[in-house]
Amino acid sequence: MGEIGGFLRIHRVGFDKRDPRERVRDYKQYFHTQSEEELARQGGRCMDCGVPFCHEGCPLGNPIPDWNDLVYRGDWRRAVEVAHSTNNFPEFTGLICPAPCESACVLDINDDPVTIEQIELGIAERGWANGWIVPEPPATRTGRSVAVVGSGPAGMAVADELNRMGHSVTVFERDEGVGGLMRFGVPDAKLEKWIIDRRARLLEDEGVTFLCDVDVGRDVSAAELRERFDAVVLAIGSRVHRELEVPGRDLEGVHFAMDYLYQRNRAVAREEGRPWRAAEREITAAGKHVVVVGGGDTGMDCISNSLREGAADVKMLDVYPELPSSGRPENTPWPLPPKRTLTTYALDEGGERTWNSEVTALEGDGDGRVARAHGRRVEGTSSRDLRAVPGSEFALPAQLVLIAIGFSHPDHDGPVRDLGLDLDARGNVRAPVYATSRPGVFACGDARVGQSLVVTAIAEGRKCARPGRRPLERLARLLARGRAAVLRALAQGLGDDVNDDPVDDQPQAPEGDDQTDGDGEGARGEHRREA
Amino acid sequence: MVAEGINVLILSDREVGAERVAIPSLLAVAAVHHHLVREGTRLRCGLVIESGEPRETHHMATLIGYGAAAINPYLMLESLTDLRQAGMLGELSQAEAEDNVVKAIGKGLLKVLSKMGISTVQSYCGAQIFEAVGLEPELVARHFTGTASRIGGVGLDVLAREALERHARGYPRPDSDLLPVGGLYQWRRDGERRMWDPETIALLQHSVRPNGNGDGDVSQQTYDRFAHLVDEENARAGMLRGLLRLREDVRPVPLDEVQPATEIVKRFSTGGMSLGALSPEAHETLAVAMNRLGGRSNTGEGGEDEARYGDERRSAIKQVASGRFGVTINYLANADQLQIKIAQGAKPGEGGQLPGHKVDRYIARLRHSTPGVGLISPPPHHDIYSIEDLKQLIYDLRCGNPRARVSVKLVAEVGVGTVAAGVAKANADHVTIAGHDGGTGASPQSSIQSAGVPWEIGLAETQQTLLANDLRSRIIVEVDGQMRTGRDVVVAALLGADEFGFSTAPLIATGCIMMRVCHLNTCPVGIASQDPELRRRFAGTPEHVVNYLMLVAEHTRRLMAGLGVRTMEELIGRADLLEAEAAIEHWKAGGVDLTNVLTMPEVEPGAPRRRTEPPPRVLDDALDWDLIAAARPALERGEKVGLQREVHNVHRAVGGILSHEIARRHGSAGLPEGTIEVEFHGSAGQSFGAWLASGVTFTLRGEANDYTGKGLSGGVLTVLPPDGHPYLAEENVIVGNTVLYGATGGRAFFRGLAGERFAVRNSDAWAVVEGCGDHGCEYMTGGRVIVLGRTGRNFAAGMSGGIAYVLDEDEGFEGRCNLELVGFDEISADDERELRGLIAEHAQRTGSPVAERILSRWSEYLPRFVKVMPHDYKRALAELAQEAAGIAGEGEPALRE
Repeated sequence: MGEIGGFLRIHRVGFDKRDPRERVRDYKQYFHTQSEEELARQGGRCMDCGVPFCHEGCPLGNPIPDWNDLVYRGDWRRAVEVAHSTNNFPEFTGLICPAPCESACVLDINDDPVTIEQIELGIAERGWANGWIVPEPPATRTGRSVAVVGSGPAGMAVADELNRMGHSVTVFERDEGVGGLMRFGVPDAKLEKWIIDRRARLLEDEGVTFLCDVDVGRDVSAAELRERFDAVVLAIGSRVHRELEVPGRDLEGVHFAMDYLYQRNRAVAREEGRPWRAAEREITAAGKHVVVVGGGDTGMDCISNSLREGAADVKMLDVYPELPSSGRPENTPWPLPPKRTLTTYALDEGGERTWNSEVTALEGDGDGRVARAHGRRVEGTSSRDLRAVPGSEFALPAQLVLIAIGFSHPDHDGPVRDLGLDLDARGNVRAPVYATSRPGVFACGDARVGQSLVVTAIAEGRKCARPGRRPLERLARLLARGRAAVLRALAQGLGDDVNDDPVDDQPQAPEGDDQTDGDGEGARGEHRREA
Repeated sequence: MVAEGINVLILSDREVGAERVAIPSLLAVAAVHHHLVREGTRLRCGLVIESGEPRETHHMATLIGYGAAAINPYLMLESLTDLRQAGMLGELSQAEAEDNVVKAIGKGLLKVLSKMGISTVQSYCGAQIFEAVGLEPELVARHFTGTASRIGGVGLDVLAREALERHARGYPRPDSDLLPVGGLYQWRRDGERRMWDPETIALLQHSVRPNGNGDGDVSQQTYDRFAHLVDEENARAGMLRGLLRLREDVRPVPLDEVQPATEIVKRFSTGGMSLGALSPEAHETLAVAMNRLGGRSNTGEGGEDEARYGDERRSAIKQVASGRFGVTINYLANADQLQIKIAQGAKPGEGGQLPGHKVDRYIARLRHSTPGVGLISPPPHHDIYSIEDLKQLIYDLRCGNPRARVSVKLVAEVGVGTVAAGVAKANADHVTIAGHDGGTGASPQSSIQSAGVPWEIGLAETQQTLLANDLRSRIIVEVDGQMRTGRDVVVAALLGADEFGFSTAPLIATGCIMMRVCHLNTCPVGIASQDPELRRRFAGTPEHVVNYLMLVAEHTRRLMAGLGVRTMEELIGRADLLEAEAAIEHWKAGGVDLTNVLTMPEVEPGAPRRRTEPPPRVLDDALDWDLIAAARPALERGEKVGLQREVHNVHRAVGGILSHEIARRHGSAGLPEGTIEVEFHGSAGQSFGAWLASGVTFTLRGEANDYTGKGLSGGVLTVLPPDGHPYLAEENVIVGNTVLYGATGGRAFFRGLAGERFAVRNSDAWAVVEGCGDHGCEYMTGGRVIVLGRTGRNFAAGMSGGIAYVLDEDEGFEGRCNLELVGFDEISADDERELRGLIAEHAQRTGSPVAERILSRWSEYLPRFVKVMPHDYKRALAELAQEAAGIAGEGEPALRE
């Protein structure tokens, strides 16, 4: 239970960032990991609350007080086991989670929260370094097969879970590497890609098959998958961009941020000798005046990449007002994640953010290339009440404009159309308890709930693999069938999920938390909690 | 087997395996026990249970209670090996760890036994002092024969299903060694369902705080979500009221015709949570809020700072519990209601416990105790061993404050109706029925989990008994125990409650997040801590509590409108507006039968179902009215008054009302010593000199009954034999039992012997007596007691403060003293002055030849005095002295660990 009253004596020590002037010259992780001693001290700040709000604040329901205590007492090995009991990939969330657990930490009411994310990362890394995370293939196979479309965090998690149950899982990935936006959106500064490779290799060693460079809907039809596999899970993300509807959008040099980030990540892969694909049309910020539209994490990653390429300058236009950088706004009281402005690693490195600014038009140089961005100031706090400020017009030099205002829903072409799946009001795949309108086809992650956090995606993947039906309910059915059935089941292993068939499972009631809202515009929410 | 002469039966589940499911250990023991009882062979054998299941105090208590003579909890002991290997037990050896856990279980059992008033495990074995909540009658009749079970419930089929489900977690062996999260003691998402979880706590807190959207409806909507979760999900799954439904086939009335919320909240109070358990900030916040609403807050058992009297920080309800901490005449005089706490719903039978690290100087001052010394309230009130005793205490408190309502707090358990009827007949104004659902982190976990029954049952029984005995009209019935929403209020009112107590929920409104560390002094939101740093973090305001209770009252109104009822008066006791919920989906709820809760006795039409009139007047014939009239010059102008009166044993609590009049006018300072001097002749009734205030000197020539000097509050009390008595006074009893119980100041001199429990829970009175019965100075926390003769056994048991000097002429005192908490000390020069001074005063006031003899041969007698010094008190005094000397002038205050 940590140290009684430890929070009164030990102060929060966050992670050290590398010198921005140094790190902007490379693509390595932008911060230093903490020593074992410091992590244990920080774990001792945990109060082991009677009602641990961190545990609730985490979409995965991570047993945070339990592992804090284990780390405090130096039992790293058990901590690794506990961390994996609710989270398939603690190294991912330890690196790129906005840590809703920390803003829900009881210490956040009037003190600094426990460094939960640091500790999680420390646990995961010790697990790998000490060889405690090893392939554990299932003892028996069920003989059933599942195709997972998409290898982002949701796809990886559902594949991992189904494989553990003994099903044979094949993951189809249209890009050249596993990880989805974790690989192609998130820069190496936040998540070095060997970390994804390491986990994917483990899954392969446990029996999961990853097929990269296979675009379901083009290289193979979804209908064919449905034929060949007992079940199909769509974890295709939410990849349709929100569009910037202004004059000049068609000019050369105006791109979706994600297209740029894909290229930058591929450039790093190429340098490091990993598989990469050449771009049809290269997007580069080198030497240019860059304007980033949208103030979320994607925009931040555009800034950091532009700076690493040697941009002349980078301006970010954020339509929302600046929020206090500390404290709790009244509309997001504890334990909700507070709406506040945090400094980010990217802005430490350079670039400049302007608040309450929107782009009204893009102007070309006469040769079809973008040259200037026109904008104006706006007032208001939400997308519903933004009003232009008369006479506030301005213009910026812009040779590269990156649009980072978020995604609206999953791609409706491809498997969604091939399988004729129903959509919900927001354009996401309708799958109230992970089962879509098509028997045997399931959906999870951003494809089901809209753009959200990596931690949510992992939680989605886990829940998709075992929706509803608990051993208790199964037992009730067995009892109804009489004593012989119970004894038979006892001999076979009662409540063992291996024998529970997720494919035929059609639970009735939707779970309460399965329709979470997507995050705000442009916020991919992969940004690590800082400070 | 027993018939064949086997005389020890061992029931074991060691052979549990893939195809062998364990029978619940309690069912096994109780079934065999009752079978043998029916066969008539039970006495021929002993019953031993060897099981992997028992691991908590309650498990052991029930196993023994249903007949197990010995328990081998093998898995509990083997778990220690595992814990040790995981490094969770530090340096402890296996043997030490086992000793510790066995000791802990033993202490827990002792506590359980003691609160049931049982002294030996032999008496407890097979006594089955339990009430079953939720077992079907056939099951109880066959296997738990004779156990009270009032609402039906599950049968063997459900128990079998649960056993199989538990079995399924272990067979076949799961992939991971990690145990399920449990969540019994701390909330976990996939664990046990609890009364409060992150969602309900956050919603309640959000509903009472400004939300920054400038939208008043947001609070309402947030409260509505909270109430929905509580009423429709949480209560349905875990509370009896969740199995009840408000009738819908009635004609509703428009909402605006229903009594306003501001009237409803006047029926609300907050629970007795002491200052000490709570920080001053939290305690005062509740008081201010309740005063603004016109409701009542409760001091709890810890006294109250007199600085709060007269302003809105004053608690309207002053609690009088077994520890009598801070119960002075001024405390009584500043109450609107005096609550005798017999028990608490969450921990029936147990008193409060304040650990030493929460007793800072402020708390110690209010409780008349010593900083740093833990305070334990005894399970019983030492002046209540019968309903007549309770009636006496009610009378005593009425004298202490004739204007206040006197209330008795009981817990919902089988038989509470009878006790409540007794309380009504004992002329109380008010009775509280406390249910088991509540309990802050200050209650022991085993009690929260395993003790008490729902208020729904206890309240219904109370209402039924009061109605059947035509007593309902003269007593106010209040209910408490996890009241959270307007629906709780309405259900309680329909079952017969006039008033409603809230505890946990208002604390949550002010920021409590159910840390469950109230006993550790580390409450991070400054509610249940005395640490100055943590107290600074308290961010609750009276508005939070006001907003919350107003939302509850509005919710109550909406439901009342739906029931077609306009006022609370019309609502109370209308059990016919409730019905059992037909559509209960939970698989374990099927067998529940709420007939006993919902059936009210036939009474004459129009007979009141609520309180309509005050209890009979009892003070009219008190001797004090005459004393007050005669002492008017003293009361009004401070003039000296000397009186002489006859007293008879029908005169009870003489001096109580007089003291009230002094406190009302002059506060705790009272009048200068000797302003009112009364010389009595005769045989005084019970509680002579109760609450006697500063400025009053009573001298009684004759004798006095039990409870003499109860709650002495600064007055001087002397009892000596009548002139010309033909016997040796030092060999005869002159005052009864339980003298000076809970005294907080003043001096007392008894020329003769006292009965048992002399100066029990004395916290600041100085007294001289010439001998006493058993248990002298029990639980004493302060003051001085000089015994000039032989004491009874068990002297100084539980004594944590103050000093006793005992003249040990036969050198046998050591054998009669309980040395658990005290030692014998050298008598210093200062002590000698103190001792000699008091004996001299005794001689002067009583003319005692015993005192004269000692004084005249002082150097000979002095070495025969034993100074009884509590260890904690000694340590605390040393620390205070050190601090005074400036050694601890910087850094941590000396009294903190």
